[in-house]
Amino acid sequence: MLSIARHIVHLDLDSFFVSVERLLNSSLNGKPIIIGGTSDRGVVSSCSYEARKFGVSSAMPMKMARTLCGDAIIIRGDMELYSKYSHMVTDVIAERAPLFEKASIDEHYVDLTGMDRFFGTLKWTRELRKTIINETGLPISFGLSVNKTVSKIATGEAKPNGELEVPGEQVRPFLSPLSISKIPMIGEKTYRLLRSMGVVTIDTLSHIPPEMMEKALGKNGKVIWEKANGIDGTPVIPYSEQKSMSTETTFEQDSIDVVRMREILVKMVEKLTFQLREQQKLTACVTVKIRYSNFDTHTLQQHVAYTSFDHILIPLVKSLFDRLYQRRMLIRLIGVRFSKLVSGSQQLNLFEDSTELVNLYQAMDRIRMRYGRKAVRRGVGI
Amino acid sequence: MKFIVSSNTLLKSLLSISGVINTSNTLPILDDFLFELTKDGLMLTTSDLETTMSVQIKPDKSEDPGAVTIPAKILLDTLKTFPDIPITFTIDPANFGIEISAQEGKYKITGHNPKEYPKAPKLEEVKPIMVPSQVLGRAFQKTLFATGNDDLRPVLSGVFCEFTPDDVVFVATDAHKLVRYRRTDTKADESDSFILPKKPLNQLRNILSQEETDVKLEYNQTNARFTFSNVQLICRLIDGKYPNYESVIPAENPNRLTIDRLALLNSIKRIALFANQSTHQVRFKIVGQELTLSAEDIDFSNEAKERLTCSFEGDDMEIGFNSKFMLEMLNNIDEDEIRIEMSAPNRAGILVPASKTEVKEDILMLVMPVMLGK
Repeated sequence: MLSIARHIVHLDLDSFFVSVERLLNSSLNGKPIIIGGTSDRGVVSSCSYEARKFGVSSAMPMKMARTLCGDAIIIRGDMELYSKYSHMVTDVIAERAPLFEKASIDEHYVDLTGMDRFFGTLKWTRELRKTIINETGLPISFGLSVNKTVSKIATGEAKPNGELEVPGEQVRPFLSPLSISKIPMIGEKTYRLLRSMGVVTIDTLSHIPPEMMEKALGKNGKVIWEKANGIDGTPVIPYSEQKSMSTETTFEQDSIDVVRMREILVKMVEKLTFQLREQQKLTACVTVKIRYSNFDTHTLQQHVAYTSFDHILIPLVKSLFDRLYQRRMLIRLIGVRFSKLVSGSQQLNLFEDSTELVNLYQAMDRIRMRYGRKAVRRGVGI
Repeated sequence: MKFIVSSNTLLKSLLSISGVINTSNTLPILDDFLFELTKDGLMLTTSDLETTMSVQIKPDKSEDPGAVTIPAKILLDTLKTFPDIPITFTIDPANFGIEISAQEGKYKITGHNPKEYPKAPKLEEVKPIMVPSQVLGRAFQKTLFATGNDDLRPVLSGVFCEFTPDDVVFVATDAHKLVRYRRTDTKADESDSFILPKKPLNQLRNILSQEETDVKLEYNQTNARFTFSNVQLICRLIDGKYPNYESVIPAENPNRLTIDRLALLNSIKRIALFANQSTHQVRFKIVGQELTLSAEDIDFSNEAKERLTCSFEGDDMEIGFNSKFMLEMLNNIDEDEIRIEMSAPNRAGILVPASKTEVKEDILMLVMPVMLGK
């Protein structure tokens, strides 16, 4: 398969969260915007290009971002909304692309290998991009090349709101002058290490013997070397169903307020079980996670018969939490995860699930579907 | 202690009780058969502490009554290789050495002290009831499949037996499906009920259906004893309160679907292949006189749909069931036509034979649907 020249497209929505916010509120256009946790402990999850000029970048602590760009409009962010828009984009791609992978909420890979015989791949991708922009109103960039790594780097160069094709023979000339930080696998640490070795451009990196890379960086060394040479055999893996769903909360201040935490857990379970039922899924494994103030993280999980019912999962999560929280120490974060998901509907129980109970669930879910997830909630979870 | 016995008779008898032996035992002696030779005959016993099962056979020749325990696995494996020939067992009571001679062969194994073998509990203040073996065998056969496996609800892992002056009722349920098997040709003098564990019943089920005799069933608060022909089984009862099964059987079921059992069975079997292989859910859609079965597995893009003609009275409806449950239930009905009675998509459906062949028998199955999304 590798012998055939491949055509891989990487599509990336430009500052996705910001674009969604701007779509709903046009007064945000042209202003520096930061999206992320609004408290001092939050981190930046996305920021507009205007904010990037001030040195703000994603994953930066919010406190630092505020200092850098005091004028920025800070938005809490609504993941539910973003994933809705992300789904819209995925739907557009799914309708047209033969084989695609959803790499993250704002990134997709499409494998166009073989399609070049019938359509111009660049023309086809341009049309796809135009359709996405027309149907969702979100700016998107793409890179088209021979494998995932080069396409992704190309997208990075094309942004914002641009496109770039790097054909096979252009791969090396394209990569050579770029900074090594453009390679997706190279994070801050690797970057510093390579810089200390005197490596600045991808060109230099690609000339280092692979054995030496392996010695310096371990197993990843060879992969990074291959990427620097424009080699990447990883296939585009078709979009697959979600295998787990989870939610977690970091407290404003580390806490030992167990009563409040149990309330938060109820709220989390309620949110996730509704998601389960909305997507017609059931879970068979429940995990509770806590992180103490010293960053020690503990999890505890338990298997259950396939279910999506609150009244089964809430007591289970509470009991897992009680068993997990053993040390008299402040807690920084708690979370709940449902895994081993399968699609299907809840099997009802002869003795426990009365008609009234089932009707109650169905009525609540109907209200939620119409007026939003928070329209009906348990008293303790508010 | 010495006896001569036909290898086939011995093997058959040992196999009929060997199912009681657990695969792993904390007491090593429970891996053995207990052999007790008296002047009346040879008594073979197995036990797992909860259940003790014995069968009595007549040896062709015997001398020096006594007892010994013999490791079950090696003995069974050896006996299985013999044709039907007489076998001589000679046991040295001093060291429990067992010598088996058959034709030209001699085989030695070491047994254990029979005094260490756990005794079956003595049943006091028992109440007896006589039930024909065929009735009992059939009752277990029809109900056992519906018992549960949940360690958290031990009562559901057994078969509930209820005796009244009018009838006897056997009930099994795992909280998703339920079977009620009632006989009006067997009665008790007074009303009583208890829960029998499924393991001994599985043992009895096969033996009972081959017998044509009356089974003496004696029970008290904690144990039950079955005695018939040359077999005796004592088991502990499951302690606890059985759920009120009558209250979950819906009384008003205006929607009634009558259909050929085998046609439905085969359709569900096929459709279920296309359902999600963890949840096995199949959708029943009834419009007019037509039943449409459908299933899908989103993960693999599998999908199937099949139409069946049926006779239906009531309002058109759509209801989802676990196909595993449906298949088990349909497999355990003998009649050619069945009737499914339903009230609402989120209430239990009743499955019964459309017409009765056996007048004295009344079988009712109940299955809980899945909560279908809108």
